[in-house]
Amino acid sequence: MERAMRRLFWFFAALFVVLIGNLTYWQVFAAPRLNTDPSNTRAVERQMRVERGVILTADGVEAATNTQEDVYFFRTYPDGSLFAPWLGYNSIRYGRAGVERVYNPELAGELDILQITNIIDLVTGKPRRGADVRLTVDADVQRAAAEALGDRAGAVVALDPKTGAVLAMTSYPRYDPNTLESDWDSLLSAEGRPLFDRAVQGTYAPGSVFKVIVAAAALQEGVVVTDAPFDDTGSFTAGGYEVTNFGDEAYGQHTFSDALVKSINTTFAKVGVDLGAATLGRYAGAFGVGSDLPWKLGGETGSFPNAAGMDTAHVAQVSFGQGEVLVSPLEMALVAAGIANGGTIMEPFIVSEVRDYRQTLLQRTQPQVWKRPITAATAQTVSELMVRAVEEGTGTNAAIEGVKVAGKTGTAEVDEGESHAWFIAFAPADDPQVAVAVIVEHGGTGGTAAAPIARSVIQAALAQE
Amino acid sequence: MRTGNRELALLLPATLLTTLGFALLYTRGAQELSPASLVYGGIFLGLFGIVHLARRLLVPMADPYLLPVTAVLSTIGILMIYRLNPSRALDQALWLIVGLAVFVLILGCFRRHFSLLSDYKYLIGLLGIGLLLATIVFGREINGAKLWIYVGSRGIQPPEFAKLMLVVFFAAYLADVRELLTVSTSRFLGMAIPPVRYLSPLLLVWALSLALMIFMKDLGTSLLFFGALLALLYVATGRLLYVVAGVVLFAGGACVLYQIFPHVQLRVDIWLDPWVDPSGRGYQILQSLFALAAGGVFGRGLGDGYLLTTQGQPLIPAVETDFIFSAIGEELGLVGGVAVILLYVIFLYRAIHVAISARDDFSRLLAAGLGAIFGLQAFLILGGVTKLIPLTGITLPFVSYGGSSIVANFGLLALLLLASEQGARERAAERVPVVVGGGDG
Repeated sequence: MERAMRRLFWFFAALFVVLIGNLTYWQVFAAPRLNTDPSNTRAVERQMRVERGVILTADGVEAATNTQEDVYFFRTYPDGSLFAPWLGYNSIRYGRAGVERVYNPELAGELDILQITNIIDLVTGKPRRGADVRLTVDADVQRAAAEALGDRAGAVVALDPKTGAVLAMTSYPRYDPNTLESDWDSLLSAEGRPLFDRAVQGTYAPGSVFKVIVAAAALQEGVVVTDAPFDDTGSFTAGGYEVTNFGDEAYGQHTFSDALVKSINTTFAKVGVDLGAATLGRYAGAFGVGSDLPWKLGGETGSFPNAAGMDTAHVAQVSFGQGEVLVSPLEMALVAAGIANGGTIMEPFIVSEVRDYRQTLLQRTQPQVWKRPITAATAQTVSELMVRAVEEGTGTNAAIEGVKVAGKTGTAEVDEGESHAWFIAFAPADDPQVAVAVIVEHGGTGGTAAAPIARSVIQAALAQE
Repeated sequence: MRTGNRELALLLPATLLTTLGFALLYTRGAQELSPASLVYGGIFLGLFGIVHLARRLLVPMADPYLLPVTAVLSTIGILMIYRLNPSRALDQALWLIVGLAVFVLILGCFRRHFSLLSDYKYLIGLLGIGLLLATIVFGREINGAKLWIYVGSRGIQPPEFAKLMLVVFFAAYLADVRELLTVSTSRFLGMAIPPVRYLSPLLLVWALSLALMIFMKDLGTSLLFFGALLALLYVATGRLLYVVAGVVLFAGGACVLYQIFPHVQLRVDIWLDPWVDPSGRGYQILQSLFALAAGGVFGRGLGDGYLLTTQGQPLIPAVETDFIFSAIGEELGLVGGVAVILLYVIFLYRAIHVAISARDDFSRLLAAGLGAIFGLQAFLILGGVTKLIPLTGITLPFVSYGGSSIVANFGLLALLLLASEQGARERAAERVPVVVGGGDG
């Protein structure tokens, strides 16, 4: 009996040794594979223990911050939808987008440079913290843009023309990242596509705001001068296509300057045809239309049709911003900024600095020149014409007392419904601090629907100086 | 050191563990050290101190290592349950007190009347079978297994108690017939077969095990009963033939059941590949493996694992009961997990030591049987949650949350100590006549 009892013990001891071996397999050898298994939610949980860096506006408002419950940090956005959609979200279920996605290594503290301080903190027992990201966006300008646009579908972009820093960028409809997870299904099916960033991803026919590029090209190329005389009968036929003016106006004798100020289609069609498809295409590209945008958050870029395939009728159409040319609001804001900045377009950026929680600077965005489509002299000339457009032309709704505002309206005809209302502007014209592009989808004319929004944004931006 | 003092000294680490564990969990929540953790340690020491004194008084010569091992296991259990769900820890603490009371009660009742257990073996066996039948008839099905009887809002698990009664019955019965089982009177297919009528109660238990599997839909409990029976048969007769025959019989029955019952197939399929349905049927075992992997060698630290979701729900279903070892593996790591496994090995070692030291067949078989069923239960659930074997829903003795389990296992401990005391007394009695005999002669 004793022998059997000893054997019974050794049998069980062997079972428990197998158990320990098996446990070692899972906890040591299989652990790396299990820790990264797609059905393992612990990776997410580990992220939630990290105090994610705060996203601050240029004026110090917290656009994205955290609330702590027990050992977990929950992302909150104190201003709700104000900075959506480009600020993005950080969702356990739906991943990340916008600044939250692109700057995740910094925010989550996963940068190589942060690892060292993290290890020090780990040893000293401090919880891991991500780095703070500071935006170029000013909360007051952003709020002014969002409020001015209101609940009309469209977008507003405001830049510092001297640096390319984004001062405000908004799109409507947008979403509240705080309730993203519960709203997700309705956000996907909503008609206005709230997750879609119209300011960067939206591409629209530019209408008459495109005349700024055509005018710059024509003046730079010497095809016209500002006081070149034109005669308008209200109609101009090019390649069998009849160009008319907005509201079927006939302007009679006028100069090229008047044509931009009053937005005369027939004259721009004539000038465009004189320039030719190739030159028009070159300048569109030089101003950034259809070029790959150096925009870290990603997005679509507009397009300009292939010059070789364009007949005269199409060239005439494109010359006043119709036909197959498409632009995004950000691209048009860059065009305005280029004119404002003496013919030099700076690369747009939205994050100025990254600092760790000790306020040590980790990254700083240096302004970079992107394109130089025209000379400073040409830019000066176009600028003066745009000032006149606001003072006495189609853009009077953007005028601000005591400030020289330069602007250009656009009313882009679309296949269905009202025209899209455009306005691009910058101010003050002699020392530009802000360049703006506004689009209101199906808003009617640029002068009535878009110009007042640009004025509000410019006022807010200049009030920050 | 005297046996009794050795036990007292060994209880101190358990008390220290309780105090430090609660101190850790308190500081996590409150950011400051609360005297409450000392109170818990004090109560724990007081409780086990009283039980220790009772044992010294009632069974002074019994094994001094078993009680400290159960004290450490209970401490680990209560700490993990407190960390998962503080209100359940209070429940568990109350059940621990009930369990210790039952422990003292059993010691008190049977220390002078140990033979009652073997004398009334049929009554005890029938009582055990009656409990199982009652469970089948009145039981409520929870998580696919019919193991619970509800008295008011309180659920009890009769199989936990039936387990003890059947081991007592097997041990007593085999002590009586073991001589006869080793004598072969007939041959079957060239094999020596003992008289069939002595084997019939054992065949009855085999049938009962299969019936349990069918009616309770519970593989674990039926495996436990049958495994304990085989272990006892082997110890009683020293014949591996019984074990082989038993395993074949059980395997045959299990194969038939596998074909017939979808829930058995499901268990096996999940075991073979939980990744087929990671968010559904394979969810529980995968979460258990993820928890173990997250723990690694040293664990994430008590209270620092991801055992509760941010909504406070347990990530692993049944983490306080069947899957408590996964929680231990995550927070205390491989080191803590192996320590727990070794505690079961020590318990089993002491149980077998009691069996070997005992002098009469009943004490020997009782200790071996209790050790076997205890070791098997620990192995089945530990192997189940670590995907070594298919999962069977049974508790981890002394650690899992659950009143029936705690009380029944303290009952088991009491029976073991009674067997140990009986053996020690008989050994002492063997020596005494040598001294006294001289005077008489």
